[in-house]
Amino acid sequence: MEILPYGENGLRLVFGSEITLETHALVRRAYLYLSAAGLPGVTDIIPSFTTCLLVFDGSRTSFEKLAGAVRERRGEMAASAWGEARTHEIPVTYGGEFGPDMDTVCAYSGLTEEEVVECHTSAVYTVFAVGFLPGFPYLGPLDKKLFVPRLDAPRVKVPEGSVAIAQLQTGIYTFDSPGGWRIIGRTRIRPFDPEKPPYSLFAMGDQVRFVSA
Amino acid sequence: MDAAIEIVNPGWLSLVVDAGRPGFAHMGVPRSSALDALAFAALNRLLENTPGTAALEVFGTEFALRFSGDVTAAVTGARTAAFLDGAQVEPWATFDAKAGSTLRVAQVLEGFRYYVGFSGTMELPPVMGSRSTNLECTFGGLAGRPLVRGDRIALAGCRRVARRSVPASHIPAMGAPHVLHLLDGPEKELFTADSFDKFCNIEKNLWYSVSTKSNRTGIRLQGEPLSFARTEKGGIVSEGLLPGTVQVPPDGAPIIVLFEKTMGGYARAGVVASADLDRLAHLRPKDRVMFDCVSPGEALELSDARGSYVSSLYKNIGG
Repeated sequence: MEILPYGENGLRLVFGSEITLETHALVRRAYLYLSAAGLPGVTDIIPSFTTCLLVFDGSRTSFEKLAGAVRERRGEMAASAWGEARTHEIPVTYGGEFGPDMDTVCAYSGLTEEEVVECHTSAVYTVFAVGFLPGFPYLGPLDKKLFVPRLDAPRVKVPEGSVAIAQLQTGIYTFDSPGGWRIIGRTRIRPFDPEKPPYSLFAMGDQVRFVSA
Repeated sequence: MDAAIEIVNPGWLSLVVDAGRPGFAHMGVPRSSALDALAFAALNRLLENTPGTAALEVFGTEFALRFSGDVTAAVTGARTAAFLDGAQVEPWATFDAKAGSTLRVAQVLEGFRYYVGFSGTMELPPVMGSRSTNLECTFGGLAGRPLVRGDRIALAGCRRVARRSVPASHIPAMGAPHVLHLLDGPEKELFTADSFDKFCNIEKNLWYSVSTKSNRTGIRLQGEPLSFARTEKGGIVSEGLLPGTVQVPPDGAPIIVLFEKTMGGYARAGVVASADLDRLAHLRPKDRVMFDCVSPGEALELSDARGSYVSSLYKNIGG
Protein backbone atom coordinates (compact mmCIF):
# COMPACT_ATOMS: atom_id res chain seq x y z
CA MET A 1 0.00 0.00 0.00
CA GLU A 2 1.29 3.40 -0.99
CA ILE A 3 0.16 6.60 0.73
CA LEU A 4 0.20 9.56 -1.64
CA PRO A 5 -0.99 13.18 -1.48
CA TYR A 6 -3.57 14.44 -3.94
CA GLY A 7 -4.05 18.20 -3.94
CA GLU A 8 -4.34 19.87 -0.53
CA ASN A 9 -7.29 17.86 0.72
CA GLY A 10 -6.76 14.35 -0.57
CA LEU A 11 -4.85 11.29 0.56
CA ARG A 12 -4.73 8.33 -1.79
CA LEU A 13 -4.17 4.80 -0.57
CA VAL A 14 -2.96 2.93 -3.63
CA PHE A 15 -3.21 -0.86 -3.55
CA GLY A 16 -2.33 -1.75 -7.15
CA SER A 17 -2.72 -0.65 -10.73
CA GLU A 18 -4.80 -3.46 -12.28
CA ILE A 19 -8.45 -4.33 -11.77
CA THR A 20 -8.31 -7.64 -9.90
CA LEU A 21 -10.35 -9.26 -7.14
CA GLU A 22 -7.21 -9.40 -4.98
CA THR A 23 -6.66 -5.62 -5.19
CA HIS A 24 -10.39 -5.09 -4.67
CA ALA A 25 -10.24 -7.11 -1.44
CA LEU A 26 -7.47 -4.84 -0.11
CA VAL A 27 -9.34 -1.67 -1.05
CA ARG A 28 -12.53 -2.95 0.52
CA ARG A 29 -10.88 -3.92 3.77
CA ALA A 30 -9.21 -0.51 4.04
CA TYR A 31 -12.46 1.25 3.17
CA LEU A 32 -14.54 -0.63 5.74
CA TYR A 33 -11.89 -0.28 8.41
CA LEU A 34 -11.27 3.42 7.85
CA SER A 35 -14.98 4.26 7.58
CA ALA A 36 -15.49 2.67 10.98
CA ALA A 37 -12.35 4.29 12.44
CA GLY A 38 -13.79 7.81 12.00
CA LEU A 39 -10.44 9.57 11.64
CA PRO A 40 -10.82 13.24 12.66
CA GLY A 41 -11.11 15.67 9.75
CA VAL A 42 -11.98 13.04 7.12
CA THR A 43 -15.13 14.16 5.28
CA ASP A 44 -15.43 11.48 2.58
CA ILE A 45 -13.82 8.17 1.73
CA ILE A 46 -14.12 7.15 -1.90
CA PRO A 47 -13.17 3.52 -2.58
CA SER A 48 -12.63 2.49 -6.19
CA PHE A 49 -10.94 -0.28 -8.19
CA THR A 50 -7.38 0.15 -6.99
CA THR A 51 -7.40 3.04 -4.54
CA CYS A 52 -9.16 4.57 -1.59
CA LEU A 53 -9.33 8.37 -1.58
CA LEU A 54 -9.60 10.07 1.80
CA VAL A 55 -10.95 13.60 1.45
CA PHE A 56 -10.09 15.75 4.46
CA ASP A 57 -10.72 19.18 5.90
CA GLY A 58 -7.34 20.92 5.97
CA SER A 59 -8.38 23.07 8.95
CA ARG A 60 -8.84 19.96 11.08
CA THR A 61 -6.05 17.67 9.96
CA SER A 62 -3.19 17.49 7.47
CA PHE A 63 -1.80 14.99 5.00
CA GLU A 64 1.08 14.20 7.38
CA LYS A 65 -1.19 13.63 10.37
CA LEU A 66 -3.57 11.48 8.39
CA ALA A 67 -0.79 9.48 6.74
CA GLY A 68 0.67 8.88 10.21
CA ALA A 69 -2.69 7.73 11.55
CA VAL A 70 -3.15 5.32 8.64
CA ARG A 71 0.38 3.93 9.00
CA GLU A 72 -0.13 3.41 12.72
CA ARG A 73 -3.25 1.37 12.05
CA ARG A 74 -1.77 -0.61 9.19
CA GLY A 75 -1.48 -3.89 11.06
CA GLU A 76 -4.89 -3.59 12.63
CA MET A 77 -6.38 -2.73 9.23
CA ALA A 78 -4.81 -5.76 7.54
CA ALA A 79 -6.20 -8.04 10.26
CA SER A 80 -9.62 -6.38 10.39
CA ALA A 81 -12.84 -8.37 10.04
CA TRP A 82 -14.20 -8.92 6.60
CA GLY A 83 -17.85 -7.93 6.30
CA GLU A 84 -20.27 -10.41 4.79
CA ALA A 85 -20.98 -9.44 1.19
CA ARG A 86 -24.63 -9.02 0.23
CA THR A 87 -25.92 -10.62 -2.97
CA HIS A 88 -28.48 -8.92 -5.20
CA GLU A 89 -30.51 -10.54 -7.94
CA ILE A 90 -31.40 -8.11 -10.71
CA PRO A 91 -34.11 -9.00 -13.27
CA VAL A 92 -33.28 -7.76 -16.76
CA THR A 93 -35.26 -7.62 -19.98
CA TYR A 94 -32.56 -8.26 -22.58
CA GLY A 95 -32.44 -7.07 -26.19
CA GLY A 96 -35.16 -5.47 -28.27
CA GLU A 97 -36.01 -1.83 -27.57
CA PHE A 98 -34.39 -2.08 -24.12
CA GLY A 99 -31.07 -3.36 -25.48
CA PRO A 100 -30.27 -1.28 -28.57
CA ASP A 101 -26.66 -2.51 -28.67
CA MET A 102 -27.46 -6.23 -28.44
CA ASP A 103 -26.88 -6.73 -32.19
CA THR A 104 -23.50 -5.01 -32.02
CA VAL A 105 -22.50 -7.15 -29.04
CA CYS A 106 -23.55 -10.31 -30.93
CA ALA A 107 -21.57 -9.24 -33.98
CA TYR A 108 -18.52 -8.39 -31.84
CA SER A 109 -18.58 -11.62 -29.86
CA GLY A 110 -19.82 -13.95 -32.58
CA LEU A 111 -22.46 -15.17 -30.10
CA THR A 112 -26.22 -15.39 -30.58
CA GLU A 113 -28.45 -13.20 -28.42
CA GLU A 114 -29.36 -16.24 -26.29
CA GLU A 115 -25.67 -16.97 -25.76
CA VAL A 116 -24.95 -13.37 -24.78
CA VAL A 117 -27.79 -13.49 -22.23
CA GLU A 118 -26.61 -16.88 -20.99
CA CYS A 119 -23.09 -15.55 -20.58
CA HIS A 120 -24.17 -12.30 -18.87
CA THR A 121 -26.50 -14.09 -16.42
CA SER A 122 -24.21 -16.98 -15.53
CA ALA A 123 -21.60 -14.98 -13.60
CA VAL A 124 -21.71 -13.50 -10.13
CA TYR A 125 -20.27 -9.98 -10.34
CA THR A 126 -18.54 -7.94 -7.70
CA VAL A 127 -19.31 -4.25 -7.14
CA PHE A 128 -15.82 -2.81 -7.57
CA ALA A 129 -16.94 0.76 -7.00
CA VAL A 130 -20.03 2.96 -6.86
CA GLY A 131 -19.77 6.20 -8.78
CA PHE A 132 -20.01 7.90 -12.17
CA LEU A 133 -23.66 8.46 -11.19
CA PRO A 134 -25.15 8.17 -7.69
CA GLY A 135 -25.55 4.47 -6.97
CA PHE A 136 -24.07 3.33 -10.32
CA PRO A 137 -22.35 -0.03 -9.69
CA TYR A 138 -19.16 -0.76 -11.60
CA LEU A 139 -19.46 -4.54 -11.88
CA GLY A 140 -16.92 -7.11 -12.94
CA PRO A 141 -15.17 -9.08 -14.02
CA LEU A 142 -17.12 -9.63 -17.24
CA ASP A 143 -16.49 -12.77 -19.30
CA LYS A 144 -13.87 -11.98 -21.97
CA LYS A 145 -16.26 -13.38 -24.57
CA LEU A 146 -18.41 -10.29 -24.07
CA PHE A 147 -15.60 -7.78 -24.52
CA VAL A 148 -16.77 -4.74 -26.49
CA PRO A 149 -15.11 -1.32 -26.59
CA ARG A 150 -16.98 1.78 -25.43
CA LEU A 151 -18.87 3.80 -28.02
CA ASP A 152 -16.63 6.32 -29.79
CA ALA A 153 -19.19 9.04 -29.23
CA PRO A 154 -21.20 8.60 -26.03
CA ARG A 155 -25.01 8.70 -26.27
CA VAL A 156 -26.53 11.95 -25.08
CA LYS A 157 -29.12 10.09 -23.03
CA VAL A 158 -29.02 6.55 -21.72
CA PRO A 159 -32.32 5.72 -19.98
CA GLU A 160 -32.40 4.97 -16.25
CA GLY A 161 -32.30 1.23 -15.58
CA SER A 162 -30.23 0.42 -18.66
CA VAL A 163 -27.91 -2.56 -18.18
CA ALA A 164 -24.74 -2.05 -20.17
CA ILE A 165 -21.31 -3.51 -20.81
CA ALA A 166 -17.95 -2.04 -21.81
CA GLN A 167 -14.58 -3.74 -21.98
CA LEU A 168 -14.55 -6.16 -19.03
CA GLN A 169 -17.17 -4.35 -16.98
CA THR A 170 -20.91 -4.22 -16.69
CA GLY A 171 -23.16 -1.76 -14.88
CA ILE A 172 -26.63 -0.29 -14.39
CA TYR A 173 -27.45 3.34 -15.25
CA THR A 174 -29.16 4.67 -12.15
CA PHE A 175 -30.34 7.91 -13.79
CA ASP A 176 -30.99 9.13 -17.32
CA SER A 177 -27.51 10.24 -18.27
CA PRO A 178 -25.03 10.57 -21.11
CA GLY A 179 -23.07 7.35 -21.46
CA GLY A 180 -20.71 5.41 -23.69
CA TRP A 181 -21.33 1.80 -22.61
CA ARG A 182 -23.17 -0.73 -24.82
CA ILE A 183 -26.76 -1.21 -23.69
CA ILE A 184 -27.98 -4.81 -23.72
CA GLY A 185 -31.10 -4.66 -21.53
CA ARG A 186 -33.07 -2.85 -18.88
CA THR A 187 -34.13 -3.52 -15.31
CA ARG A 188 -37.16 -2.18 -13.44
CA ILE A 189 -35.17 -2.16 -10.21
CA ARG A 190 -34.28 1.35 -9.10
CA PRO A 191 -30.86 1.00 -7.48
CA PHE A 192 -30.75 4.56 -6.15
CA ASP A 193 -33.42 6.61 -4.42
CA PRO A 194 -32.32 9.98 -2.99
CA GLU A 195 -35.55 10.19 -0.98
CA LYS A 196 -35.13 6.92 0.88
CA PRO A 197 -32.25 5.89 3.18
CA PRO A 198 -29.97 4.03 2.74
CA TYR A 199 -30.32 5.58 -0.76
CA SER A 200 -28.05 3.18 -2.66
CA LEU A 201 -28.96 -0.47 -3.19
CA PHE A 202 -25.34 -1.29 -3.95
CA ALA A 203 -22.27 -0.84 -1.82
CA MET A 204 -18.72 -1.51 -2.85
CA GLY A 205 -18.01 -5.23 -2.35
CA ASP A 206 -21.61 -6.43 -2.90
CA GLN A 207 -22.27 -9.38 -5.24
CA VAL A 208 -24.71 -9.11 -8.15
CA ARG A 209 -26.36 -11.71 -10.33
CA PHE A 210 -28.51 -10.82 -13.34
CA VAL A 211 -31.52 -12.94 -14.26
CA SER A 212 -33.40 -12.81 -17.53
CA ALA A 213 -36.87 -11.42 -16.80
CA MET B 1 -43.66 36.54 9.28
CA ASP B 2 -44.91 34.80 6.15
CA ALA B 3 -43.08 35.62 2.99
CA ALA B 4 -42.23 34.18 -0.39
CA ILE B 5 -40.31 34.91 -3.55
CA GLU B 6 -41.58 34.50 -7.07
CA ILE B 7 -39.25 34.18 -10.02
CA VAL B 8 -40.06 36.79 -12.65
CA ASN B 9 -37.06 35.99 -14.84
CA PRO B 10 -34.51 33.23 -14.05
CA GLY B 11 -31.63 34.86 -15.98
CA TRP B 12 -29.66 32.24 -17.90
CA LEU B 13 -29.70 29.76 -15.07
CA SER B 14 -30.80 29.94 -11.47
CA LEU B 15 -30.64 27.15 -8.95
CA VAL B 16 -31.19 26.55 -5.27
CA VAL B 17 -27.85 25.76 -3.59
CA ASP B 18 -26.43 25.32 -0.12
CA ALA B 19 -23.33 23.73 1.41
CA GLY B 20 -24.19 20.49 -0.41
CA ARG B 21 -23.93 16.81 0.43
CA PRO B 22 -20.58 15.91 1.91
CA GLY B 23 -20.25 12.36 3.21
CA PHE B 24 -22.00 10.54 0.38
CA ALA B 25 -19.19 10.36 -2.17
CA HIS B 26 -18.71 6.62 -1.55
CA MET B 27 -22.12 6.06 -3.14
CA GLY B 28 -21.36 8.35 -6.06
CA VAL B 29 -23.29 11.33 -4.73
CA PRO B 30 -21.43 14.59 -5.41
CA ARG B 31 -21.49 17.66 -3.17
CA SER B 32 -23.42 19.92 -5.57
CA SER B 33 -22.58 22.81 -3.22
CA ALA B 34 -22.50 26.54 -4.01
CA LEU B 35 -19.53 26.98 -6.33
CA ASP B 36 -18.25 30.16 -4.66
CA ALA B 37 -18.09 29.02 -1.05
CA LEU B 38 -16.92 32.39 0.27
CA ALA B 39 -19.67 34.39 -1.45
CA PHE B 40 -22.20 31.87 -0.15
CA ALA B 41 -20.88 31.96 3.43
CA ALA B 42 -20.64 35.77 3.42
CA LEU B 43 -24.23 35.98 2.20
CA ASN B 44 -25.48 34.06 5.22
CA ARG B 45 -23.32 36.13 7.57
CA LEU B 46 -24.72 39.34 6.14
CA LEU B 47 -28.24 38.02 6.67
CA GLU B 48 -27.53 36.58 10.15
CA ASN B 49 -28.64 33.17 8.87
CA THR B 50 -27.50 29.81 10.14
CA PRO B 51 -24.38 28.90 8.10
CA GLY B 52 -25.37 26.83 5.08
CA THR B 53 -28.87 28.33 4.68
CA ALA B 54 -29.93 27.75 1.06
CA ALA B 55 -29.71 30.59 -1.46
CA LEU B 56 -30.07 31.06 -5.21
CA GLU B 57 -27.05 30.70 -7.48
CA VAL B 58 -27.59 32.62 -10.69
CA PHE B 59 -25.72 33.60 -13.80
CA GLY B 60 -26.71 35.89 -16.61
CA THR B 61 -28.51 39.22 -16.60
CA GLU B 62 -32.18 40.10 -16.40
CA PHE B 63 -32.70 37.85 -13.38
CA ALA B 64 -35.70 39.20 -11.50
CA LEU B 65 -37.81 38.11 -8.56
CA ARG B 66 -40.79 39.55 -6.72
CA PHE B 67 -41.09 39.55 -2.94
CA SER B 68 -44.32 38.83 -1.20
CA GLY B 69 -43.93 39.68 2.45
CA ASP B 70 -41.23 41.82 4.04
CA VAL B 71 -37.81 40.26 3.74
CA THR B 72 -34.21 41.32 4.15
CA ALA B 73 -32.12 40.10 1.23
CA ALA B 74 -28.61 40.43 -0.23
CA VAL B 75 -26.68 39.67 -3.40
CA THR B 76 -23.06 38.46 -3.20
CA GLY B 77 -20.69 36.75 -5.61
CA ALA B 78 -20.32 38.41 -9.01
CA ARG B 79 -20.50 42.20 -8.77
CA THR B 80 -23.86 43.22 -10.18
CA ALA B 81 -25.83 46.33 -11.00
CA ALA B 82 -29.08 45.35 -9.28
CA PHE B 83 -32.20 47.34 -8.56
CA LEU B 84 -35.05 47.05 -6.10
CA ASP B 85 -37.95 48.78 -7.82
CA GLY B 86 -35.55 51.14 -9.57
CA ALA B 87 -33.37 51.95 -6.56
CA GLN B 88 -29.83 50.61 -6.87
CA VAL B 89 -28.91 47.78 -4.52
CA GLU B 90 -25.36 47.76 -3.24
CA PRO B 91 -23.41 44.54 -3.93
CA TRP B 92 -22.52 42.37 -0.92
CA ALA B 93 -24.92 44.31 1.33
CA THR B 94 -28.28 43.66 2.93
CA PHE B 95 -31.37 45.54 1.82
CA ASP B 96 -34.99 45.52 3.00
CA ALA B 97 -37.56 44.43 0.47
CA LYS B 98 -41.23 45.21 1.02
CA ALA B 99 -44.06 42.98 -0.10
CA GLY B 100 -44.67 43.50 -3.82
CA SER B 101 -41.22 44.90 -4.61
CA THR B 102 -39.12 43.46 -7.44
CA LEU B 103 -35.37 42.79 -7.45
CA ARG B 104 -33.83 42.94 -10.90
CA VAL B 105 -30.22 42.32 -11.93
CA ALA B 106 -29.53 44.56 -14.90
CA GLN B 107 -25.84 43.88 -15.38
CA VAL B 108 -23.02 41.68 -14.20
CA LEU B 109 -20.00 43.93 -13.81
CA GLU B 110 -17.36 41.47 -12.62
CA GLY B 111 -17.39 37.70 -12.19
CA PHE B 112 -19.99 35.22 -13.33
CA ARG B 113 -22.18 33.59 -10.67
CA TYR B 114 -24.00 35.61 -8.04
CA TYR B 115 -25.87 34.51 -4.95
CA VAL B 116 -29.22 35.88 -3.84
CA GLY B 117 -30.11 35.16 -0.23
CA PHE B 118 -32.96 35.95 2.15
CA SER B 119 -33.42 36.36 5.90
CA GLY B 120 -35.41 33.14 6.08
CA THR B 121 -35.37 29.50 5.08
CA MET B 122 -36.71 28.36 1.73
CA GLU B 123 -39.50 25.91 2.33
CA LEU B 124 -38.12 23.13 0.18
CA PRO B 125 -37.57 19.60 1.45
CA PRO B 126 -33.90 18.74 2.03
CA VAL B 127 -32.80 15.70 0.03
CA MET B 128 -29.96 13.72 1.59
CA GLY B 129 -29.50 16.53 4.08
CA SER B 130 -29.24 19.34 1.54
CA ARG B 131 -31.37 21.69 -0.54
CA SER B 132 -28.72 21.94 -3.28
CA THR B 133 -29.90 21.06 -6.76
CA ASN B 134 -28.31 18.04 -8.41
CA LEU B 135 -29.11 19.06 -11.98
CA GLU B 136 -27.73 15.94 -13.63
CA CYS B 137 -29.85 13.59 -11.53
CA THR B 138 -32.72 16.04 -10.99
CA PHE B 139 -33.04 15.92 -7.22
CA GLY B 140 -32.77 18.54 -4.47
CA GLY B 141 -33.55 22.24 -4.91
CA LEU B 142 -36.94 22.87 -6.45
CA ALA B 143 -37.95 19.55 -8.04
CA GLY B 144 -34.32 19.02 -9.04
CA ARG B 145 -34.47 21.57 -11.83
CA PRO B 146 -33.43 25.12 -12.66
CA LEU B 147 -35.92 27.80 -11.61
CA VAL B 148 -38.36 29.08 -14.20
CA ARG B 149 -40.64 32.09 -14.44
CA GLY B 150 -43.55 31.76 -12.07
CA ASP B 151 -41.80 29.52 -9.52
CA ARG B 152 -42.78 30.52 -6.03
CA ILE B 153 -40.76 29.56 -2.97
CA ALA B 154 -42.11 30.23 0.51
CA LEU B 155 -39.68 31.57 3.10
CA ALA B 156 -40.03 30.46 6.70
CA GLY B 157 -38.90 32.43 9.73
CA CYS B 158 -38.26 35.71 7.91
CA ARG B 159 -37.13 38.63 10.01
CA ARG B 160 -35.70 42.09 9.46
CA VAL B 161 -31.95 42.16 9.71
CA ALA B 162 -29.71 45.16 10.42
CA ARG B 163 -28.03 46.86 7.52
CA ARG B 164 -24.63 45.29 6.89
CA SER B 165 -22.20 45.32 4.03
CA VAL B 166 -18.80 44.19 2.88
CA PRO B 167 -16.75 47.28 1.96
CA ALA B 168 -16.05 47.49 -1.77
CA SER B 169 -12.33 47.16 -1.07
CA HIS B 170 -12.97 43.73 0.49
CA ILE B 171 -15.07 42.21 -2.29
CA PRO B 172 -12.86 39.55 -3.91
CA ALA B 173 -11.49 40.02 -7.41
CA MET B 174 -13.40 37.81 -9.84
CA GLY B 175 -12.64 39.22 -13.28
CA ALA B 176 -10.65 37.72 -16.15
CA PRO B 177 -7.91 37.03 -16.92
CA HIS B 178 -7.71 34.27 -14.31
CA VAL B 179 -4.37 32.99 -13.07
CA LEU B 180 -4.96 29.72 -11.23
CA HIS B 181 -2.30 28.27 -8.96
CA LEU B 182 -1.87 24.60 -9.63
CA LEU B 183 -0.43 21.69 -7.68
CA ASP B 184 0.93 18.65 -9.52
CA GLY B 185 -1.75 16.05 -10.13
CA PRO B 186 -1.39 12.31 -9.48
CA GLU B 187 -0.81 11.57 -13.20
CA LYS B 188 1.58 14.41 -14.01
CA GLU B 189 4.08 11.81 -15.24
CA LEU B 190 1.76 10.69 -18.04
CA PHE B 191 2.50 13.91 -19.91
CA THR B 192 5.67 14.86 -21.76
CA ALA B 193 7.83 17.10 -19.58
CA ASP B 194 7.80 19.85 -22.24
CA SER B 195 4.08 19.81 -22.61
CA PHE B 196 3.46 19.82 -18.86
CA ASP B 197 5.92 22.66 -18.31
CA LYS B 198 4.30 24.78 -20.99
CA PHE B 199 0.88 24.05 -19.52
CA CYS B 200 1.59 25.47 -16.07
CA ASN B 201 4.74 27.58 -16.22
CA ILE B 202 3.59 31.22 -16.31
CA GLU B 203 6.82 32.25 -18.00
CA LYS B 204 5.66 30.32 -21.08
CA ASN B 205 2.66 32.66 -21.22
CA LEU B 206 0.24 29.98 -22.42
CA TRP B 207 -3.39 31.05 -22.18
CA TYR B 208 -6.46 28.91 -22.37
CA SER B 209 -9.95 30.08 -23.15
CA VAL B 210 -13.07 28.87 -21.31
CA SER B 211 -15.24 26.86 -23.68
CA THR B 212 -18.94 27.59 -24.09
CA LYS B 213 -19.47 23.87 -23.38
CA SER B 214 -18.57 24.41 -19.73
CA ASN B 215 -21.19 23.78 -17.08
CA ARG B 216 -21.55 23.11 -13.37
CA THR B 217 -19.90 19.70 -13.78
CA GLY B 218 -16.74 20.92 -15.44
CA ILE B 219 -14.99 23.87 -17.02
CA ARG B 220 -13.68 22.91 -20.45
CA LEU B 221 -10.66 24.80 -21.70
CA GLN B 222 -9.62 25.47 -25.28
CA GLY B 223 -6.03 26.08 -26.25
CA GLU B 224 -2.87 24.09 -26.74
CA PRO B 225 -3.63 20.45 -25.87
CA LEU B 226 -1.33 18.60 -23.48
CA SER B 227 0.74 15.80 -25.00
CA PHE B 228 0.77 12.34 -23.49
CA ALA B 229 4.16 10.71 -23.13
CA ARG B 230 2.90 7.35 -24.29
CA THR B 231 0.51 6.31 -27.01
CA GLU B 232 -2.18 4.84 -24.78
CA LYS B 233 -3.25 8.43 -24.06
CA GLY B 234 -3.34 8.32 -20.34
CA GLY B 235 -6.67 6.71 -19.51
CA ILE B 236 -6.46 5.53 -15.90
CA VAL B 237 -8.48 3.11 -13.84
CA SER B 238 -11.36 5.27 -12.55
CA GLU B 239 -10.89 6.58 -9.04
CA GLY B 240 -11.95 9.28 -6.59
CA LEU B 241 -11.87 12.90 -7.74
CA LEU B 242 -11.38 16.16 -5.86
CA PRO B 243 -12.97 19.45 -6.94
CA GLY B 244 -10.50 21.65 -8.79
CA THR B 245 -8.76 18.69 -10.43
CA VAL B 246 -7.58 19.34 -13.98
CA GLN B 247 -8.48 16.21 -15.94
CA VAL B 248 -7.12 15.60 -19.40
CA PRO B 249 -9.08 13.34 -21.77
CA PRO B 250 -7.37 11.70 -24.77
CA ASP B 251 -7.81 14.80 -26.94
CA GLY B 252 -5.49 16.70 -24.55
CA ALA B 253 -7.93 19.55 -23.79
CA PRO B 254 -8.02 20.18 -20.02
CA ILE B 255 -11.24 20.09 -18.01
CA ILE B 256 -11.45 21.56 -14.49
CA VAL B 257 -13.70 19.33 -12.36
CA LEU B 258 -16.22 21.15 -10.16
CA PHE B 259 -18.59 19.74 -7.52
CA GLU B 260 -20.70 17.26 -9.50
CA LYS B 261 -18.46 14.21 -9.97
CA THR B 262 -16.98 11.78 -7.45
CA MET B 263 -14.97 9.52 -9.77
CA GLY B 264 -13.16 9.88 -13.06
CA GLY B 265 -10.96 7.96 -15.47
CA TYR B 266 -9.00 10.71 -17.18
CA ALA B 267 -5.41 11.56 -16.34
CA ARG B 268 -5.20 14.21 -13.63
CA ALA B 269 -2.55 16.74 -14.59
CA GLY B 270 -3.03 19.08 -11.65
CA VAL B 271 -5.20 20.34 -8.85
CA VAL B 272 -6.18 24.01 -8.49
CA ALA B 273 -4.91 25.41 -5.17
CA SER B 274 -7.64 25.62 -2.53
CA ALA B 275 -7.09 29.39 -2.29
CA ASP B 276 -8.30 29.70 -5.91
CA LEU B 277 -11.28 27.30 -5.80
CA ASP B 278 -13.92 30.02 -5.31
CA ARG B 279 -12.55 31.78 -8.37
CA LEU B 280 -13.68 28.81 -10.49
CA ALA B 281 -17.31 29.94 -10.02
CA HIS B 282 -16.44 33.03 -12.04
CA LEU B 283 -14.83 31.54 -15.15
CA ARG B 284 -17.13 32.69 -17.94
CA PRO B 285 -17.16 31.26 -21.44
CA LYS B 286 -14.36 32.92 -23.45
CA ASP B 287 -12.49 34.16 -20.34
CA ARG B 288 -8.72 33.71 -20.49
CA VAL B 289 -7.12 31.32 -18.00
CA MET B 290 -3.51 30.58 -17.16
CA PHE B 291 -2.05 28.03 -14.78
CA ASP B 292 0.84 28.80 -12.45
CA CYS B 293 2.41 25.72 -10.89
CA VAL B 294 3.11 25.87 -7.15
CA SER B 295 4.70 23.55 -4.60
CA PRO B 296 2.67 22.19 -1.68
CA GLY B 297 4.48 24.73 0.54
CA GLU B 298 3.48 27.61 -1.70
CA ALA B 299 -0.11 26.33 -1.81
CA LEU B 300 -0.13 26.33 1.99
CA GLU B 301 1.10 29.95 2.06
CA LEU B 302 -1.63 30.91 -0.40
CA SER B 303 -4.19 29.11 1.71
CA ASP B 304 -3.00 30.89 4.89
CA ALA B 305 -3.16 34.24 3.12
CA ARG B 306 -6.64 33.41 1.87
CA GLY B 307 -7.64 32.45 5.42
CA SER B 308 -6.51 35.85 6.77
CA TYR B 309 -8.34 37.64 3.99
CA VAL B 310 -11.55 35.69 4.69
CA SER B 311 -11.27 36.46 8.44
CA SER B 312 -10.87 40.17 7.81
CA LEU B 313 -13.81 40.09 5.38
CA TYR B 314 -15.95 38.42 8.04
CA LYS B 315 -14.77 40.94 10.63
CA ASN B 316 -15.97 43.71 8.33
CA ILE B 317 -19.39 42.14 8.17
CA GLY B 318 -19.52 42.03 11.97
CA GLY B 319 -22.55 40.60 13.67
